[in-house]
Amino acid sequence: MNAIMYMLRKNVKNGIRDAFQHPMKLLVYVLVAASLVYAVIRGFTMEVDVNDKLDMRILSGAFLALLYFISIPIMLKGLSTGSSFFSMDDVNNIFVAPISPKRILVYGIGKQLATSLFLVVCFSAYGSMAIKMFDLSWGNALVLVAGIALMLFIVQMVTLLVFCLCSAHPRLTTYFKYFIYSLALYALISVIAFMFQNGMTLENLYTAITEDFLEYVPFIGWVHGVIFGIIGGNTLNALIYSSLLLLSCITSLIAFKVTKLDYYEDVLQNAESYYEFRENLRSGTVSESMLPGSGRIKVRKTGISRGKGASAIFFKHLREGSRRSRLMFFNINTIVLIGITAVIGFAMKSFFGTEDRATVIYIGAAVICAYVQFFFSAAGDWVKELNKPYIFLIPDDPVKKLIMAGATSIIKPFIDGAVSFVLLYFIVGGHFLDVISCTIVYGSFGCIYISSNILAQRIVGISGNRGVFITFYMGIIVLLMIPGIVGGVLLLSNIGADLTNIAATFLALPVMIWNIFISFMIFLMCRNLLNNIE
Amino acid sequence: MINVSHLTKKYNRFVANDNMSFIVNDGEIAVLAGPNGAGKSTAIKCIAGLLRFSGEIEICGHNNKSMEAKQILGYVPEIPAPFELLTVWEHMEFIARAYRLQNWQERAEMLVRRMELHDKKDKMGKELSKGMQQKISICCALLIEPKAVLFDEPFVGLDPHAIKELKAMLNELKAKGVTIIISTHMLDSVEEFWDRLLIMMRGRIEAERERKAVEKSGENLEELFFKITEKDRHDDK
Repeated sequence: MNAIMYMLRKNVKNGIRDAFQHPMKLLVYVLVAASLVYAVIRGFTMEVDVNDKLDMRILSGAFLALLYFISIPIMLKGLSTGSSFFSMDDVNNIFVAPISPKRILVYGIGKQLATSLFLVVCFSAYGSMAIKMFDLSWGNALVLVAGIALMLFIVQMVTLLVFCLCSAHPRLTTYFKYFIYSLALYALISVIAFMFQNGMTLENLYTAITEDFLEYVPFIGWVHGVIFGIIGGNTLNALIYSSLLLLSCITSLIAFKVTKLDYYEDVLQNAESYYEFRENLRSGTVSESMLPGSGRIKVRKTGISRGKGASAIFFKHLREGSRRSRLMFFNINTIVLIGITAVIGFAMKSFFGTEDRATVIYIGAAVICAYVQFFFSAAGDWVKELNKPYIFLIPDDPVKKLIMAGATSIIKPFIDGAVSFVLLYFIVGGHFLDVISCTIVYGSFGCIYISSNILAQRIVGISGNRGVFITFYMGIIVLLMIPGIVGGVLLLSNIGADLTNIAATFLALPVMIWNIFISFMIFLMCRNLLNNIE
Repeated sequence: MINVSHLTKKYNRFVANDNMSFIVNDGEIAVLAGPNGAGKSTAIKCIAGLLRFSGEIEICGHNNKSMEAKQILGYVPEIPAPFELLTVWEHMEFIARAYRLQNWQERAEMLVRRMELHDKKDKMGKELSKGMQQKISICCALLIEPKAVLFDEPFVGLDPHAIKELKAMLNELKAKGVTIIISTHMLDSVEEFWDRLLIMMRGRIEAERERKAVEKSGENLEELFFKITEKDRHDDK
């Protein structure tokens, strides 16, 4: 353990020294700390009328959701044989050293716990805000924060137990995975069933999220039971649930003591893929393992079949796309977008009520979808192409290469948009012209994102600093989209009253024209981007 | 022929390549040797047209960034970078299409077979080991029937059969008059066929030797390398 303590001590010391040697890194740390302090101060200074205090049931439901949000991913990660505990440097240096595997596992869990405690610090900053918004005392706010820390501790202990059991009996892994999923499903189904039974009202939702049955959920519900038992003065509940938690911890420790652990092989594989993932993130490159649908890919149809020169890149992307998803452009992003559009459709329809306001719903949906697309566009085919030398070596016109490399990334948003907005049409109705306009405008934002990326690469350099690149990239996106939006708003403000039922189309028209025009201009201006890999 | 004239490459204030000039003639194999950090890979990447630099580089009389140069230049990178979702054979097809090659199938078949990838033609890039990925890079570079080829540490990660086969291929290319530059510090792997030795240190070409002259003096490659690269250490002593 001395060696591990030495390494931890040196890691902390060198980490601090490194931060001071890299002013940008230090600046980020200072900014994060400052934003936490700001959140605390803002919580104190925020004036909330006594009558405006929120229902405590909201706090109870939100806290439970937070516990789920923290614990389920950690448990699932722990189940994948410790991928969250160890990094490649641990595997290469500590695993081969003459140190007991159990001590190493304790070190891994401790390391994970330290990382998780950062979350507690972040949430504690919002404790002050909770005091102002809910009828909550200082002591109770501290209990809430302690609850998060307790959840983190418990989840690590549970992970330890699961890990020991699965290490001895690998078949159990699948059952535990189902068990963890069932914890989340149980809560979801219980709330939905309650709502169906008692009516879809906000009041019933508040009641459903504070019902006792949610506290029966092992670990997560129990922690909630302890914390809200203390806050609500229900000592019996607090005692019962804390006893259950204590029992779980004792079971975990006994399992740890008696199990013969041999987890190195599993950890090595996970650590290697995690290392690759982190290295890719650090260098700003995108590998297949980071993309949706990259899990199990089978080779069915082979061959690129078409394309000469630069267009071979486009047909290559089509073949790669067909491997990721049988429906080519239809992937998890499409499903997420459909889900978002459906939620927006139903929510806004119930808010606005009448069908003649459908055009407003289209505007809202297009804005939110365009925002979401920003996150989808980060791992487009063209970004990956820049990680390989071939695009720079192919003897063809740079503009052609740029357009062909970006073609699939340009087409996909148009298809995603068409599917999502047609679905929205079935939900909210309205004019079909709005569907077409929103689809094109959504697609045109895809052009803006890709051209902004190209422009940022041109300014910062392909192998430039990723932090600087992202700053430029986001700044360019904002600058590029402003003229189109201004044009749209101006046109919208000048249309006659008889045309307001297709307001989305008038707002979208200048936006789509501008977005496509400026994107094409950037493609032309940045044609020399592929002159070198820098 | 590859003609490098006053090549200088800087990363901010750090000079990776400092005013390098050399010529490698048709049918010649030049070895770019030097200790770690000497600037070998940077020089290779500059010649491949992947980096910005000052100076001039010509590939068979064409500027190295021109279409004509790209069409006849093969490049095997130090770190193999196959397309993760393309099969081995699709890599061949992609290169053939991108470079507009005619009747490439037979040559691709021969390369894949010699590199022992024929039973893995339908395996995707991401399913292959590092060594096999390196073999794909070699096949891709040689499929275009290049007039000049750049190899950056080509023997690293290859199995003995592939090393033997690659050496045979290098000799065949040389016989066909192809200009070859190999960056390596595994000197014994190039001992049999090198024609020109360029020893780099701190971004500069510290020494340039031709095989005939070295053989005449009775020195071998390794002795020569250490004599030049460890000169400073001896001077310090």
